[in-house]
Amino acid sequence: MRLATDRIVRQRSAPDPRPLVITGRQGNVERLTAVDLAAARLGLKPGLALVEARARYPDLAVVAEHPADDRRLLDAIADWCQRYTPLLAVDPPDGLLLDIAGCAHLYGGEENLLADVLARFERFGFAARAAIASTIGAAFALARFGPAGILAPGAERTALAPLPIAALRLPEQTIAALRRVGLKRIGEILDLPRAPLAARFGDDVLRQLARALGEEREPLTPILPVAAYVAEQPFAEPIAREDDVMRVIARLAARLKSMLERRGEGARRIELALFRTDDAVRRIVVSTSRPVRDPDDVRALYVERLASLADALDPGFGFDLARLSVLAADSCPPEQIGLGERVDDADLDRLIDRLSARLGARRVTRLIANDSHIPELAAGSVPAQASLARENGWAAFRRFRASVELSPRPLRLLTKPEPIEAIATVPDGPPVRFRWRRALHEVVAADGPERIEGAWWSEEGGPARDYFRVEDKAGLRFWLFRAGLYRSTAQPQWFLHGTFA
Amino acid sequence: MVVVRLSTGVVSSRSLPQADREVLRALKDSIRVPESDMGRAAIPFGIAPIDQALGGGLARAAFHEIAAAGESALTAATQFVLGVAARAREPRAVLWIAEEMGLAENGTPYGPGLDDLGMQPERLVTVAAAKSRDVLCAMEEALRCRAVGVVIGEVRGAARLDLVASRRLSLAAGERDVCAFLLRTAPGTDASAAATRWTIAAAPSRASAGPGPPLLSIHLTRNRRGPVGSWLVEWNRVERRFDLAPSISEPVADAARDRPHRAAALGA
Repeated sequence: MRLATDRIVRQRSAPDPRPLVITGRQGNVERLTAVDLAAARLGLKPGLALVEARARYPDLAVVAEHPADDRRLLDAIADWCQRYTPLLAVDPPDGLLLDIAGCAHLYGGEENLLADVLARFERFGFAARAAIASTIGAAFALARFGPAGILAPGAERTALAPLPIAALRLPEQTIAALRRVGLKRIGEILDLPRAPLAARFGDDVLRQLARALGEEREPLTPILPVAAYVAEQPFAEPIAREDDVMRVIARLAARLKSMLERRGEGARRIELALFRTDDAVRRIVVSTSRPVRDPDDVRALYVERLASLADALDPGFGFDLARLSVLAADSCPPEQIGLGERVDDADLDRLIDRLSARLGARRVTRLIANDSHIPELAAGSVPAQASLARENGWAAFRRFRASVELSPRPLRLLTKPEPIEAIATVPDGPPVRFRWRRALHEVVAADGPERIEGAWWSEEGGPARDYFRVEDKAGLRFWLFRAGLYRSTAQPQWFLHGTFA
Repeated sequence: MVVVRLSTGVVSSRSLPQADREVLRALKDSIRVPESDMGRAAIPFGIAPIDQALGGGLARAAFHEIAAAGESALTAATQFVLGVAARAREPRAVLWIAEEMGLAENGTPYGPGLDDLGMQPERLVTVAAAKSRDVLCAMEEALRCRAVGVVIGEVRGAARLDLVASRRLSLAAGERDVCAFLLRTAPGTDASAAATRWTIAAAPSRASAGPGPPLLSIHLTRNRRGPVGSWLVEWNRVERRFDLAPSISEPVADAARDRPHRAAALGA
């Protein structure tokens, strides 16, 4: 309700008794955009010019508005509100919509749920109004304009009638147009003939009315997709120790397992959400390279993941709700244990998963062969979790390699060719000496050139390269290339691209 | 068996297209495994003096430390490790765990180059760790996995490896029958529980026109089972094995690229 001012008050280190107003520039005038309770009691309202407010009450605390921070705060609150229901939408600038169908009984009925929400918000220092109704429109209208509380299903008509038109969530100009003809309350348009109303003020009016009354369904767009499988565990007494968290994960994973088994699926991405008693949510996601169901596997992944967290799992005053959800699932046939070699593959995948969870998925990679002549593009690496196809193009590479004659390739390739200073005796020949990383190398033997050019239709790879395999006096063997030809470039640049044994 | 007989006796494999020769080689390899594997305990070099010093070959379920004589010799050391690992004829996965900075500085393992060596790139999983400690942790983790046959860890010279860490790696390697290598950019001076320690340097090849086959000067600086020694070995690209370099360094031509060595074609 007073999100912007509450945000400032929460950030203050010492209380400030002065009335607080938030201002923003509108046109050329600095106007109030939000006021706190004390300022509202003095009669200050959003929209008032700051000069005028100052003239009336010189002793005001004035803070410039910051909509982005407000939005971030609202998102954080929304995240935290996921404890009540996974179906939740943000209604900017300062509203939240919770779909509590099927959730209220967990809190002992709608009254208790509402009381719980309000009590928690108050404890965090937010002034909040909340309403429960059968439609989004009615709940919105009641929470902002009407008597907050619970509206029985079917009572929308009578409850909405006395509220102003603005409660219908209509565009500003439509509200103004309605006001011009003297229609100020919802009750005044409820019984008007629909067709002329639509013809004059647009379809919006009818649609919003129908939605508020429950004659038309209104979809709610949740901020997070709802997971297919969710298991959660509230705690009467908040837990804080990592051991306890691990035990809870195992227990939740066991519950997920039976759900997954029923549908013949396994989890590919799992999210653990830990709700702290203060308004923070910790979300930790792990991915797997093959569908998993086994609680022990899930637990092992979280052991690695938690061990790798840069900031330890900060429990604050403890977590009072833990939720394990499967964000992505794949079909996973029932596993046959024992016979066959596949067990080995699964073992390797488990290792890859554990290492990926601890070090990060992009650090655990497999090599793939690509269809390209440019050396750095011909072989690449992909996260091992993503490349279940084990062959990765190497069979085709070998067939190609057997059919054409290519000179040997280096054992280690620099991620980026490094420029070197090289001196060649003949324009198209290998260098006689070159300097790489400040060391001078005298070339005693060279093989080449092997010319590699990019495809004529693409720019990748740059100019034609002439590769040479050279050996220096000490017996070090390098792969060098000259980018560009002497004919076309005055001073072609030399690069070192890899090293041979 | 019959296929091999045909290839050696009846069909001259020189007349076969390259692709078929590859198939033949794979078949021969698959048969050679049970034949030549005198116990799975060791990876033989096939070079008498070295195998003798090692007591039959490099111990398989053990931890070996292989250091480059200097940063520039790292690729030579890499070749040594991979050459040995490729000779292990290990069907299981190979894990290469290195520091991210090390890979950026010295280059990443290049698939086509590995393939030339006989190390199939599809068997390789590379792990780029942020710190040398993570490398050792990941190595130990990998050594405890049934599906892994070879673990290669790569740390840069400054990284210290204490006795406890190398002891743990040795034990893990022994338990699971996995071959573990630690590749270092500089020889370590600290105490180590490794079964063998090597220092590898690149040596000038017997070059005629272009660079000849890779020549490595290898020093066995510590050997739990026998004497130490130094040798000069040459990588044989056709047979995919190390040979003792001939004592007279007369220049010879590199093995022809377009056709395998005749001896190899005849089924050596």
